[in-house]
Amino acid sequence: MGTLFTLVWSATAQTLIMVFSSTLFSLVLGLPLGILLCITGPEEVGGIIPKPLLNNILGRIVNVLRSFPFIILMILLFPLSRIIVGTSIGTAATIVPLSIAAAPFVARIIESAVKEVDPGVIQAARAMGSTTNQIIWKVLIPEAMPALASGVTLTIINLIGYSAMAGAIGGGGLGDLAIRYGYQRFRVDVMFVSVIIILLLVEIVQVVGNKISSRMMARR
Amino acid sequence: MGITMKNLSRAYGSLHAVFDVNLNIPANTIYGIIGKSGAGKSTLVRLISLLERPDKGEIYYNDKRVDNLAKEDLIAQRRKIGMIFQNFNLFSSRNAARNIAYPLEIADVPKEEIKKRVVELLELVGLQGRGKAPISTLSGGQKQRVAIARALAYNPDILFCDEATSALDPQTTRSILNLLKDLQKKMNLSIVMITHQMEVVRDACEYVAVLEDGSVVEEGKVVDVFASPSSPTTKEFLANLSPLASAEIPKKDSIIRWSEEGGRYILRFRGEKTGEPVLSRIQKKFDVEFNIRAGGVQYVANEEVGTLVCDIIGESDEVDKAVSALQLSGIIVEEENV
Repeated sequence: MGTLFTLVWSATAQTLIMVFSSTLFSLVLGLPLGILLCITGPEEVGGIIPKPLLNNILGRIVNVLRSFPFIILMILLFPLSRIIVGTSIGTAATIVPLSIAAAPFVARIIESAVKEVDPGVIQAARAMGSTTNQIIWKVLIPEAMPALASGVTLTIINLIGYSAMAGAIGGGGLGDLAIRYGYQRFRVDVMFVSVIIILLLVEIVQVVGNKISSRMMARR
Repeated sequence: MGITMKNLSRAYGSLHAVFDVNLNIPANTIYGIIGKSGAGKSTLVRLISLLERPDKGEIYYNDKRVDNLAKEDLIAQRRKIGMIFQNFNLFSSRNAARNIAYPLEIADVPKEEIKKRVVELLELVGLQGRGKAPISTLSGGQKQRVAIARALAYNPDILFCDEATSALDPQTTRSILNLLKDLQKKMNLSIVMITHQMEVVRDACEYVAVLEDGSVVEEGKVVDVFASPSSPTTKEFLANLSPLASAEIPKKDSIIRWSEEGGRYILRFRGEKTGEPVLSRIQKKFDVEFNIRAGGVQYVANEEVGTLVCDIIGESDEVDKAVSALQLSGIIVEEENV
């Protein structure tokens, strides 16, 4: 029982590190991209600097990346992991493909959240002499905050799922544990505990995320 | 600050939203621009508030040309313009005080000064102590007051009101109009009101321009336009004027009609003429009879304008003589083509 606990504990820690880091990095990549997608889009929905060609190209790239099966993307990105973290296996190495795989998804989520901002409010901000940067930081992002929070919740949940898959190709974490012990060594108990913990993580993130969003809404 | 528009045009595809508009908005007044939906009011206000550039024509603030400003100048100029909207367009992520602070924040006004100014502004619009209120907890009238305070925060020279009272009930409309009139005097503002409500023009404006299909069909002092409307659109607006009472003289507003029949002539009286027994004088002089169908006196920009809808019965040349006598005594006579 001692070994089971140690195994599960260290795998959970790995999963948490993977999910936390890749959420952070995918936001770093996806947030600017999502905002760019929105502000270069049509004027009626948050397009404060419409650039149809750029918008089109960005949109295509995002769509291509999103339609890649995650496992394939991960294998394709192994060389990149080797450059950035020096290895292509293990928890740290998995963060690179996870972040990149989630970034286009985050971009679309951010884009649709920001597009929900009332165009009248943006018009008012422009009429008052706001610069593009001021509109982004002082209007678009704060106004879209509740929607952004639920977008981040969704991203984390997705990344929990992705990180479990990443386990299959040497990423470590709970997914890895479930496959190596539960599937390959017939340790049903390990598999069971791993799956339960993943379910719990998803449930906790969802509940906390919903709380944060609704608290934001209530304060308005 | 006065605004001059020269040959202003803006088209969307083949639709001429604004076509060849020439207007002169004098400084320190409340100027109404009225039109039905689709008349081009919104486009016109977007052009003169520098939110959009015209295809053709020029816009001047005083003597400064503003329709072709470069980006930096444009942003600086917009900061000197206030604007309020039908849907208030307040930031839901900010409370009342921080909404009002926004124009100051983006202009890098020091924090201490912003605080002081916000308190002043809240008081100016009658919302003292409500600074911490989230926007969703405010009523429509209060929201528009916050919007007005926000629009005036950076001491603009001009305030544009885009259908600012259209989402409010008559009573709130009246209180907002009174506030605007008050602020106009206090701050030496020029206010431009875009509206489809003739009541707003009557109760608040000194000048009015009537817009139809993107062009100005009538323009002038409100009193003059009410007394002698020349375009069919203006007449229609006047005919549909609802008896929304102006606060001071509630009873003098509506035209009372006691017969749905007849009414070939519309007589309009101005000022002291409303007090004179003109009709009976004329009736004694010529062989005609007046049959009055509807009438009333309205209070427009501190002047009375009387309207009478009547038939004039008699030999046709006697009627003609009577009509010219009416006109001679300063009454505007319109004849409906039956």
